[in-house]
Amino acid sequence: MCTPAAGRVRLNVGGRVFETTADTLASAGRDTMLGAMLDASWNVPATTSEYFIDRDPACFAVLLDLLRTGGLHLPPHVPEAALCREALYYGLLDRVRAARWADLDGDRLRLAASVPGRAPGDGAAVRAAPDGGCCVAHGAAVRVYNWMLQERRPVHLAHKPVNDAAYLDAATLLVATRDSSGGGVAAFSALTGDLRHRYLLTHDRQPRPFTPGALAFDNHHSTIFASCKGRLNEYGVAAWDAATGEQADFFYEPPACALGDADALQWLHGTGTLMAATMFPRADSSFVTLLDFRCRTVAWSWSDVGTPASLEDKHAVHAVAMEDGWSVCVVNQYDDLGFLDLRSNARGVRWRSGSKLTGRKKVCAEETCYPKLATHGGQLFASTTTGAISVFSGPDHALTSTLRASDGGVVCDLSIGGDRLFALHNEENVFDVWETPPLPII
Amino acid sequence: MSSQKKRPARIEPFRHKVETDPKFFEKSWKKLHDAIREIYNHNASGLSFEELYRTAYNMVLYKHGPALYDNLIKTMTEHLQEMRISIEDAQGGLFLEELQRKWDDHNKALQMIRDVLMYMDRTYIPSSKKTAVFDLGLELWRDTIVRSAKIHGRLLDTLLDLIHSERMGDVINRSLMRSTTKMLMDLGSSVYQDDFERPFLEVSASFYSGESQQFIECCACGEYLKKAQRRLDEEAERVSQYMDAKTDEKITAVVVKETLTNHMQRLFLMENSGLVSMLVEDKYEDLTMMYNLFRRVPDGHSTIKSIMTSHVKETGKSLVTDPERMKDPVDFVQRLLNEKDKYDNIISTSFANDKGFQNALNSSFEYFINLNNRSPEFISLYVDDKLRKGMKDANEEDVETVLDKVMMLFRYLQEKDLFEKYYKQHLAKRLLSGRAASDDSERSMLVKLKTECGYQFTSKLEGMFTDLKTSQDTTQGFYAANPSDTADAPLISVQILTTGSWPTQPCSTCNLPPEVLAVSEKFRAYYLGTHNGRRLTWQTNMGSADIKVTFGNGSKHELNVSTYQMCVLMLFNTADCLTYRDIEQATAIPPVDLKRCLQSLALVKGKNVLRKEPMSRDISADDSFYVNDKFTSKLFKVKIGTVAVQKESEPEKMETRHRVEEDRKPQIEAAIVRIMKARRVLDHNSIVTEVTKQLQPRFLPNPVVIKKRIESLIEREFLERDKVDRKMYRYLA
Repeated sequence: MCTPAAGRVRLNVGGRVFETTADTLASAGRDTMLGAMLDASWNVPATTSEYFIDRDPACFAVLLDLLRTGGLHLPPHVPEAALCREALYYGLLDRVRAARWADLDGDRLRLAASVPGRAPGDGAAVRAAPDGGCCVAHGAAVRVYNWMLQERRPVHLAHKPVNDAAYLDAATLLVATRDSSGGGVAAFSALTGDLRHRYLLTHDRQPRPFTPGALAFDNHHSTIFASCKGRLNEYGVAAWDAATGEQADFFYEPPACALGDADALQWLHGTGTLMAATMFPRADSSFVTLLDFRCRTVAWSWSDVGTPASLEDKHAVHAVAMEDGWSVCVVNQYDDLGFLDLRSNARGVRWRSGSKLTGRKKVCAEETCYPKLATHGGQLFASTTTGAISVFSGPDHALTSTLRASDGGVVCDLSIGGDRLFALHNEENVFDVWETPPLPII
Repeated sequence: MSSQKKRPARIEPFRHKVETDPKFFEKSWKKLHDAIREIYNHNASGLSFEELYRTAYNMVLYKHGPALYDNLIKTMTEHLQEMRISIEDAQGGLFLEELQRKWDDHNKALQMIRDVLMYMDRTYIPSSKKTAVFDLGLELWRDTIVRSAKIHGRLLDTLLDLIHSERMGDVINRSLMRSTTKMLMDLGSSVYQDDFERPFLEVSASFYSGESQQFIECCACGEYLKKAQRRLDEEAERVSQYMDAKTDEKITAVVVKETLTNHMQRLFLMENSGLVSMLVEDKYEDLTMMYNLFRRVPDGHSTIKSIMTSHVKETGKSLVTDPERMKDPVDFVQRLLNEKDKYDNIISTSFANDKGFQNALNSSFEYFINLNNRSPEFISLYVDDKLRKGMKDANEEDVETVLDKVMMLFRYLQEKDLFEKYYKQHLAKRLLSGRAASDDSERSMLVKLKTECGYQFTSKLEGMFTDLKTSQDTTQGFYAANPSDTADAPLISVQILTTGSWPTQPCSTCNLPPEVLAVSEKFRAYYLGTHNGRRLTWQTNMGSADIKVTFGNGSKHELNVSTYQMCVLMLFNTADCLTYRDIEQATAIPPVDLKRCLQSLALVKGKNVLRKEPMSRDISADDSFYVNDKFTSKLFKVKIGTVAVQKESEPEKMETRHRVEEDRKPQIEAAIVRIMKARRVLDHNSIVTEVTKQLQPRFLPNPVVIKKRIESLIEREFLERDKVDRKMYRYLA
């Protein structure tokens, strides 16, 4: 063997000699280049007593350090992109990603990047990918970023305006578009931007044009949901089987529910129901309903039609189901948080008095973006009309952190996924990426 | 020149045309191609992994991924074709070995090819949605070799032939089988299922269908079950040795269906060896096997259960309706208990104490015990027998077990009140004649009845015990109060029985001998003196006496006799010869009792204290009686029994039954009133159901009787019929 002593390995990487142990290299795993190279089925070059690898030594030093310590330390002269390229060569990219950031904790966030946008249209939505990448729906296209925040080929459905986007998995992206003749829902490869499948809708076995609004994905039953407006009053929520691509169901809009217009859909795994929220100002009043597709019933519903006049100027503008599965959080245009109890029907919103921390400013400019909500790990994230993001923690949702970053204006959408928080700003289409740094060793 | 527009001088940027080597792909691919060849030829020692990896990396980097992928398929297919030919050429038994060898080679090579193309696996393949290299290698192996025309059928036949010969007792190379099925599983569960498992199950089904047909023709049931069990074990072992664990369930289902389900009825009903004869002969081992095997068969256990039930009902029915058995109640009950023990043993040893079987057994016992309406009487007699005698040398625990078993039978009785009647009678006899073997056993039986039927059921029985206790105290008190007066008179021991607690007896008095009469009158005076407002009647038909006799031949004995017998014997103190008529006049004992009493004094061999003339069995009015001076006995104390009928005679039985019927009337009425009080309005059928439900623990009321009771209650204006709906009754408060 080439090893000078038992278990030791000499590597010559681009001219620089490294000495390490076989165990350190094997810790990378058999399905990496280094692991395979040391495998018994591959014989050692007989002439020299060391392995030669024709790659950049500086990056290799960083990666070897990663294998040795589990931590990632990037010296100033090594560009990050180069490191990622080398990590991909060795098959260590996943390790690099894992070492970059820890599990998301709203109180320990740092701004990882601010990615400038170039799109002509307004940013409609930002969606986080399960692996830490994201996509931004701008006007008629969806820009896709990998977790290194390098832009991939954008996705579009014949350049039609995008209503919503959702990740089925890290490599598949679902896009809902609208146009004058209807619209469509289609799945794309997030890696290459190729069209994978178009989801069609039939009523009475007749294919019908429709305009999809919001999207949701239930990854336990692999079902795709979309709020739909049909040409012939076929309003409701459509369901497709993601595996076969066939239409699985259609929940027709019951009276006074405005399902077809829903802005937000969310699958609640605990109860096996779909939350559909239709919010002011798209509708005159706000509706939140829980749909049970198994028995085709509305399991729970709430609307603010007929609220007392004193509260009339307050409208719920966004809703998110809490992770505990028995309440829905809503927010109004003055950043007040309120809660709806899913365990009892037809109760009003319990507005939180303490949430008026930001003060009530009468901002009613046209450019105003209404607040948005997101949840993760028991924490509640709310973008505010002042352009910051508030983090609420604990059972009583106390304000614990406020995130404020680039001056791209008000946050118009936020999304959490892959242990990262993405915030899309109204002006300039800049989006901020927030992540939790690994805990210090001591 | 000047007219010409002056073109600004432009500096063209230096256009460096990036010339990629046009032969780059060919060169690189050749390198990989050669390496793949060397790998397949087991000659990889000269290859540099780093170089090959870098080459593949560069090819993917420069967008040659699709071509690389296509070429990989082509090359790998070529190598597999070569392997196929060499496998096809393998003869006979070498076929599987050659297949196995090539499979190992391919696997090894595939592993190395994947190492080289790892970068393609990570980048090009996910984005183009192609099959990863390793899986591609398996697919190619499957399509080129396993499913090729010449190998596909041959492989399956070889495997099935080997399994068949193993079933026939040959030894086969199991490790080769294991590695072959493992190969099929590695190719994907669908390959294993389609190309091996399904045909295997089909072949097995036909094999076992034939074999079981053959066995069932020539084997007895137990033997057949043994064979089936062995086959099941074999198949389970086979699966664990060289098949996918999931096949276990399927092949077991096939064997069970072919050998057990299809022949279930025939096996159970087999003459001389089927289920019934197993039960009769207590073949625990066979029954256990049957129970365990038919657990897997749908309806298996329920069929066993129903056959057992009908067998138990049949034998039970013939037992309880056999007139021969009616003659000996103790034997009758003992047989029931034995039968119960037998099946309890079968269920606990062979049927894993299955609750369903226990319930089936209980319901069949309940069915046939109640077929004989004398069962309550017989059971009470059995208890009487056990508590009276024979148990003297048995210890408490044995008595307890017997009593527990009897309680089991008691639970099956529908007419529990009838049992109570008889039990009371028998208990009274036991207590009054002082023949109860053990007070503890008596009480323990009472406790059992109490737990089973509640306080009400046993309150009177308990009253009987209390009476005896107080009587003892009262007698002692009597002698303490009159120490002098009674010194010469016969000692009496009086048992004061509360009317109602004890079975009612027609009060038949007799003339007591004057000595006794005197002391009893004193006692009466004492008792009435201490207890105000009570009435005391002598039940002379139930007492007993010890008298000392000196016979003419000088022999002295102490006789233990009944009160009636004492009265008769005392007459002979003053006379030598008395006729029946004389005796009847002097004692005023009812004729039936007197006859019985004289019979026992004069006609029982060895205990004939009196001599009768003429010496006939029957007693007529003119017969004369003498003291038998020739009386001898080895014992000083002689017990003169009464010629008693242990079993009830026919009219007595009728009477008991009548009394029971009478007693039931108020109970039924009480139940009706209770129900109507709660419900106010109810229809006829509901009342009948509810009453039956309420009274079930004591007896099963007859609907006709219930109807009569309802009518009687209507007459007495407890209820009325609804004016509109005649079926409805209304409670009148």
